[in-house]
Amino acid sequence: MSKTTDTELIERCRSGDRKAFETLLLEYEKPVFNAAYRMLNNRDDARDVTQTVFLKVFENFEQFDPSRRFFSWIYRITLNESINWLGKANKLEPLTFEAADEGKGPEQRVESARTAESIQVALMTIKADYRTVVILKHFLGCSYVEISQILEIPEKKVKSRLYTARQQLKDALTGTL
Amino acid sequence: MAIEQKYVELINADIDGEISSAAKTELQAFLDSNDEGRALHTELAALCGTLAEVPAEEPPVHLRHVIMNSLPPVRKEKESPSFFRSLLMLPALRYVGTFAAGVFFTISIVNSSQLTNQAFDDVTGLVGTIAQPINSSLASAITVSELAIAGTVSLRSAGSLLILDFDLASGNPIEIEADYEDNSVWFNGFAQLESTGTTISADTGRVLLGMEGKRRYALYLHNQGNHQTTIKLRFMADGEVVHEASLAYKPSK
Repeated sequence: MSKTTDTELIERCRSGDRKAFETLLLEYEKPVFNAAYRMLNNRDDARDVTQTVFLKVFENFEQFDPSRRFFSWIYRITLNESINWLGKANKLEPLTFEAADEGKGPEQRVESARTAESIQVALMTIKADYRTVVILKHFLGCSYVEISQILEIPEKKVKSRLYTARQQLKDALTGTL
Repeated sequence: MAIEQKYVELINADIDGEISSAAKTELQAFLDSNDEGRALHTELAALCGTLAEVPAEEPPVHLRHVIMNSLPPVRKEKESPSFFRSLLMLPALRYVGTFAAGVFFTISIVNSSQLTNQAFDDVTGLVGTIAQPINSSLASAITVSELAIAGTVSLRSAGSLLILDFDLASGNPIEIEADYEDNSVWFNGFAQLESTGTTISADTGRVLLGMEGKRRYALYLHNQGNHQTTIKLRFMADGEVVHEASLAYKPSK
């Protein structure tokens, strides 16, 4: 969505327009849910985090800096909430491939879903900091600059995290795809 | 031999499409002369291709409704009540006023033998029998038969007035959302048989009702221009949508 449209919607949200909020929800529900799911590897947890994210957005519109892009704000909240969730569940540490793969039923191992499932399991084997850059780059389509703004880290650090994350993913996926 | 860090960065930047033409030329020259570099480029490109093929997860069907229904009410500046409103805030005067309004409402209908096309200013707070307005006609009706809620909802019309008549029973608290996206339809009032037990909040294009137990109440909407419209109803228990339905109004020619 364009910056102008988002800005207009946010202005309307600030004056209590629920329709405007619903439009933002329609636009960002899926990427927020997906980012949370990729971080947490669990649909129920992702649903709860998505709900928390939108509630926080609704209650904190006043804190949003209009000079920034809305997506960078909401994605940052999403990733922070996901990391908080992992922290509360003592799941911040990366898992082994086998541990991350535990509990996946046979229906999730059918050929059509195998690649996606392997990718998700491999994601859980890398540190949360690295996972965030992979999610922003590959699942939310953000550029280096946008990732840098969302995570508030230098672009150089974004690149180095992304390269390391890819290397680790590649290693984790060796022999599974 | 390990690949120089500079070329690792260029390989990644190339795969991400974030490489300048000069850097691209430099990378190409490196790849042409370095097998290890070419292998890394191929592997990373394959990994990114695989990542790109992972389908997006669909959020749970009712998540949007759950989120919308969990939003806190919007805080608005509290207006200081007018003198007349202050008087009405006194319980005795409020009951007298409500009774008088009810009597006036009934007499108006009976005397005129028809409803005017003018919308009622506000009938919120009216308590008593929900009469079927003279000359009103049934536009559509639905039956709800769920574990969480059961009963009927009918839509009647009388001139520019649309009346949603709810006759429902639920064991636990239920929220009902009446959604009318049509800009020429707006909330015009509410009446219920019981004096307590039903909550209501109206917003642009939407009315939210909360109820528990056996309830009979009516929601009045003004349909500017008396044109065709549809009202979508969602019944929610514990934040989950348990039933959805639509009531359509089509003016007779």
